[in-house]
Amino acid sequence: MAKKSMFDMTPVKGYEKKLEDFFPMERRCSNCLGCKFVPFEKIKSNRFGRNCPSVWHYNFNLYSARGRFQLGQNILEDGSVRFEGQALDAIFNCQACGACDVGCKVTRFNLEPLAHNIALKERAVEKGKAPDALNAVAAQLAKQKTMLPGAKKADRGAWASGLKLKDISVGKETAEYAFFPGCQYAYDKDLQKKAKSYVSVLKKAGVDLGWFGKGDMCCGGRAGQMGFRKEFEAQAQANAVVWKKAGAPKIVTPCSDCYYALKRQYAMLGIEVEVVHAVELIAELIKSGKLKLKKAVDLSITYHDPCRLGRLGEPFEPWDGTEKKILNQVHTWTPARPRYAGTYGIYDAPRDVLAAIPGLRLVEMERVRENSWCCGAGGGCSVFNPEFSDAVASERVTEAQATGAEAIVTACPWCEKNLSGVTSENGTAMPVVDVIDLVAKAL
Amino acid sequence: MKNITYNKDFYRALQDIVGERNVSEDPAVTENYRCITAQSSAHYGPYDTRTPKPQAVVLPGSTEEVQQIVRLCNKYKVDFKAASTFWAAMGFIGSDNAIQLDMIRMDNVEIDAKNMIAVCEPFAIGGTVQVEAMKNGLNCNIAGVGCSSSTLAGSAGWVGFGPSSIFMGIASENLLGAEWVLPDGEIIRTGTLGSDGEWFCGEGPGPSPRAIFRGWTGTAGTMGVCTRIAIRLHPWPGPKWIPVRGTAPAYFADGLDNVRAYTVCYPDWDAYAESFRLFYEADICYLAHRQFNMFGRDIKTAMVEIFTHPEKQFCDLPELMEDPYIKEQNEQMKVDVQIVLAGFTERDLDYKEKAFDEILRQVGAHKSEYYLQQDIEDFVKLYLLRLARKNYNYTLCSSYEGNFGLSPNVFVAAPLMEEAAALKREWEQTHTGVAAVGGDSDMGSVSGIGGGGTTGWEFFVHFDGFDKESIYDSCAHIDRTQEWMTEKGLGADFGRWNADVRQPNGYNYTQEQHDSFYSKIPQPALAEYQWKIREAFNPNRLTGSYYKTLTPKEFRDGDNK
Amino acid sequence: MGTKDSLMAIFGRNGVIDDPDILASYAENQSFEPRFAPWFVVKPSDAGKIEKLVKWANKAGTPLVPVSSTGVKLRGDSAPSVPGAVAVDLSGMKKILNVNRQQRMAVVEPGVTYDELNKELAKQNMVIPGSLKPKAGQSVLTDVLEAVPRLNPMMQWNFFDPLRCVEVTWGDGTRMFTGEAAGGPLDLEAQWKKQQWQVQYMGPWMTDYYRLVTQAQGSMGIVTWASLKTAVKPSVHRLYIAAADSLEDLEGFVYKAMWTRFPDELFILNRAQAASLIGKTEEEIKRLKEALPPWIVAVGAAGRELIPEVRFEARSKDLIDIAQVNGLDLKEGIAGLSGRALYEEATSTDDGKVYWKDVYAGGHRDVFFLTQLDRTGEFLRAVREICEDIGYPTEDIGVYIQPRHIGSSYHMEFTFPYDPDSAAEEARLRSLLETVSVAVSDLGGYYSRPYGRWAGIQLNKDAQSLMALKRLKGIFDPNGVMNPGKLAV
Repeated sequence: MAKKSMFDMTPVKGYEKKLEDFFPMERRCSNCLGCKFVPFEKIKSNRFGRNCPSVWHYNFNLYSARGRFQLGQNILEDGSVRFEGQALDAIFNCQACGACDVGCKVTRFNLEPLAHNIALKERAVEKGKAPDALNAVAAQLAKQKTMLPGAKKADRGAWASGLKLKDISVGKETAEYAFFPGCQYAYDKDLQKKAKSYVSVLKKAGVDLGWFGKGDMCCGGRAGQMGFRKEFEAQAQANAVVWKKAGAPKIVTPCSDCYYALKRQYAMLGIEVEVVHAVELIAELIKSGKLKLKKAVDLSITYHDPCRLGRLGEPFEPWDGTEKKILNQVHTWTPARPRYAGTYGIYDAPRDVLAAIPGLRLVEMERVRENSWCCGAGGGCSVFNPEFSDAVASERVTEAQATGAEAIVTACPWCEKNLSGVTSENGTAMPVVDVIDLVAKAL
Repeated sequence: MKNITYNKDFYRALQDIVGERNVSEDPAVTENYRCITAQSSAHYGPYDTRTPKPQAVVLPGSTEEVQQIVRLCNKYKVDFKAASTFWAAMGFIGSDNAIQLDMIRMDNVEIDAKNMIAVCEPFAIGGTVQVEAMKNGLNCNIAGVGCSSSTLAGSAGWVGFGPSSIFMGIASENLLGAEWVLPDGEIIRTGTLGSDGEWFCGEGPGPSPRAIFRGWTGTAGTMGVCTRIAIRLHPWPGPKWIPVRGTAPAYFADGLDNVRAYTVCYPDWDAYAESFRLFYEADICYLAHRQFNMFGRDIKTAMVEIFTHPEKQFCDLPELMEDPYIKEQNEQMKVDVQIVLAGFTERDLDYKEKAFDEILRQVGAHKSEYYLQQDIEDFVKLYLLRLARKNYNYTLCSSYEGNFGLSPNVFVAAPLMEEAAALKREWEQTHTGVAAVGGDSDMGSVSGIGGGGTTGWEFFVHFDGFDKESIYDSCAHIDRTQEWMTEKGLGADFGRWNADVRQPNGYNYTQEQHDSFYSKIPQPALAEYQWKIREAFNPNRLTGSYYKTLTPKEFRDGDNK
Repeated sequence: MGTKDSLMAIFGRNGVIDDPDILASYAENQSFEPRFAPWFVVKPSDAGKIEKLVKWANKAGTPLVPVSSTGVKLRGDSAPSVPGAVAVDLSGMKKILNVNRQQRMAVVEPGVTYDELNKELAKQNMVIPGSLKPKAGQSVLTDVLEAVPRLNPMMQWNFFDPLRCVEVTWGDGTRMFTGEAAGGPLDLEAQWKKQQWQVQYMGPWMTDYYRLVTQAQGSMGIVTWASLKTAVKPSVHRLYIAAADSLEDLEGFVYKAMWTRFPDELFILNRAQAASLIGKTEEEIKRLKEALPPWIVAVGAAGRELIPEVRFEARSKDLIDIAQVNGLDLKEGIAGLSGRALYEEATSTDDGKVYWKDVYAGGHRDVFFLTQLDRTGEFLRAVREICEDIGYPTEDIGVYIQPRHIGSSYHMEFTFPYDPDSAAEEARLRSLLETVSVAVSDLGGYYSRPYGRWAGIQLNKDAQSLMALKRLKGIFDPNGVMNPGKLAV
């Protein structure tokens, strides 16, 4: 069926959809440990050599992508394992951060561990086996159009008061960019200030900016990461309706979770939307001279790459090929299927912005760019299992402290919240700020 | 036979030892510790089977915990096996009344830079031990299994040679002090560790007890649990961390000016063998391996092209293979080897280059032009120095098994190479289960012993672990090559090295079966003594049949439990 | 059948020696350990007879003590510790069974000495890596089995290099080959026909059988051949020397030189040890002691068959540079001591009359152990303090430090010359040795080769190793016939 418009949901062909589609991958995994370690050439120390929070924390093989491939075989082949007990525990204690995916693709050409992990979650959700906390989140999404517990739809626009942002959702006004704050910036009192700051900075640099007003909602991406495909798709469709009505503006978001949802998850559904992360736009504005950072910020910082802006932030590429064996037994996808190895994520833009701030000194952690260690919040883990989520965050703070930096900078509210206040293995916390905080200081 | 004695009390005792979160008998966990042998065969199979399911999986965090677990296993007569990186079937249990120890929680590495020693726990992998060493101008032997495998497992558990062995020696040679929880639960610390807590020597006092913990193959997890080892480190003249450039996954080593990587093209196998002798004597190689031929004589250059160009994939293979330039390279590199030279000073590098050129001149070989391209050389440097791409063994078809093995004496093996290659090529052409890569898919270490003297040979049989027909056909192919090896008087085919220690169904052999095997070997005494050693150190016979034993004559008709 | 008859049944009427004088000579040795003359001496010529002998000894309960070297017995390991033993003198087994240039391997019987082996190896431009000036009658096989350190540690990828495979008759009378050789028939000729040259020493499976006869003082079995990894003989070679006032001054250079692997030989001597090595008379030694610097490090640079001059030049210049950076002046000779002369003395055997360490005072005793280079100074200070306390002249202490196993460990050897004809000196030395032996152990010195008193000291610190050794002894020598009384097991 021909596609009617860029906002019509027509899930893309080619890629695997349901758990059974992954069965060949489950059997073709070669147990290389690429899903447990930073790609081996890039390991810089024994202390910070691991990449997957889940198996790092829980230790049983089951909690790695390899373990989940084997679990998938057990489920599909002979039913020796069912959706219960530690199978469920391992399925949902996954941030869907994609580190395993990057590690795997360094050497393998025909495995998709991240997509497989999510397929496991989806099957568990279908069977009604999701944890209560996540079910509540999904219900909240359906009802309040946000996944933040306790948040009300009616309160969503409070953050924008006083900003005089154009409401483009009703079709009267237009803007080149629609500011899409995401739930954290919309509801969290501390983060609301930062959302305002983003808007102020962009407007000051001359960006034609509006927002969706009462049509502003959750992106729903996190529901997809948690395995709630139905809820995610419904939310995506709802957003698509709003955006279409608003004239299909380009979307700018300060939230990396939203960025990933719009860039990749929506694209997989066939919803095409042009999205940039706010730091990308700010970097452009600095480069073009429209934004000048003059004041020195005397601070030593380290930058935490959010998973969904970095390795998962690669542009989506449609593919509709076939699989074929050549040379007797060499499995191929023809034509070449896109390999999301994290290479083309958004890494330089935030660093360019930071580099433009006078006096600021960036010291890198060992695990950066496509090999960044997750903050721990992904995949619903911060709601479902705070102990695990905090442990993962603590590991990141420990790594950040090892650089000698005074603060962690990031470009995602989920990361910022999850890393803030968490203590490292030395028992001390570290200030965590958003890129915009430093930009605002330097203006 | 032992009674089945795993029970709830045992499980509760395990919980008491390691804490509830570090032990599980949930089927999702225990099923996860069954080796799917076609997917991880490593000289066993490939078979379309799984190893038995452990009754429980336990994650010890210290030597003391390991000791308590092993004592418990002895009390209840429950089999056990410890493994760290679980790369091959040998790390997994072989009976139904068994528990699996996963050593993942013990991953520490400590470096004594001055004395060039690393002390490693089981889950410290080659890749992390190496980065810690390199910070101190040091390096470690990484076995051919690759840097993703446990350094301790390679040192205590299995053979342990690879590209670096010619310069750095093999795992056995580098093993200094070690701490073992014996199969009966006692702890022994070898060499200097036993008396003074120092790690620098693993021998003695007097006749080395270490003799029983680590022979040629290692003990494959049968002599209790090795919990810490010290290994000797070796000089590394490069930076504290090897800079990597490029786009994932096409990574290249950057700026290693005093390291050179070459591929040598030989006119014939005689020249190949003679050059090895000269490499040994000249002592110039930092790394030496026949590496990329593992993909096959007809596709190896195309594969390197794919690995060095991130946009390329396997669907590009046919076009690449037809490229006249690449065909010409394959032709030149029919008989080839990769050599890395490292200069500790400018003079040293100059000497090594000259000696290398002289060896090539003497045997009529030349350097591959293809591999002299900057990116390709830098790819090879990173590949061989870090051995980080071990999974490329599997990449082509998802699974592989090594076969032939030929002879450790290069002068015996080299003249047989073309015949072996022809056998494989014929199979590729007449069967569909094995990837058709041009017959010769041999790879192996130039030296299986420090300083040179033995050679590793291993043809790669690439097969699809998802495709049962492919698995069966590969297995049949290895049966055929075993026949050929036997005809030539070369002994066990590499693909059948472990055929006598685990049954094709994944279970341990019985003593009676082992007796029937080992009573026929040329010197049965070595299996009889291992029986006696096992009786002395593993009286409850708890660690499976990777330990090769023959009931001594005096007991064969008598008390054999 | 009586013991002598039984032995004669194996070795023939003339093959069993019971001449009291000859028997007494087998008890003589330079240790202070209790010793007994053997009951009989037999001189086997092949492994088959040894197999019979050991089987007989198991039935008869007769101790067997293997002896392979001739001349002065330094450690007492081949002198019976119990009465009623049969000395198994292997010194007549002098066959060099095989020399293979392609593999640089040699296979020798126990009676082959360094001079004999090197003479044969020289025909194919090879040499056996040697220990520091062995005695003329030193069995090469025993020297490597007992892990006497080599002058060239760089050729020791394995701790026991150049030892590779052996043929051993265990204490229970079972004969087997070890390592690669165990995988083939019990027949060397047959193995050679298949181009198996006994190169690979491990296993052959999961047990390193050969390790059980190393450092064993003949207590596990009798070895009747060993394959050895030889080296290509240098065509150009120089032994450089650097002087230092203290041991600590040498540390930086030695660590760095070992790191590069540039040296061939590398060893450290103090002035007393160097003087003893070079001097042929007491006077000459005294003169040298005055002339020589307190410490020297000797470092070899060599070139062999492949572009020898290029290698030699590169190694020489780099080693000199490394020395300079570490504050040392590496030269061809110092203070009247040329590197060439030192090399000659270090690599040759003694004259077979007076052992070189006995020239100075008539007798000597050694204390040696393994440690790490950065700890050698502690041992030196401790030993000096003990000597001062006991009244032994510290200037007479000889010190030899030898990196081994590519520098993983360092053999540290103290030599104490004394006048064996002086009861007072002997008494003083006995006290000194006891005190030093204990002090060294207390400081962490490791008696990897635990001769005599050291076995008790070492194994008392390591109950688990002692237990393991006892278990192993019970397997391979269940009736305890092999050299009982040694190794505290």
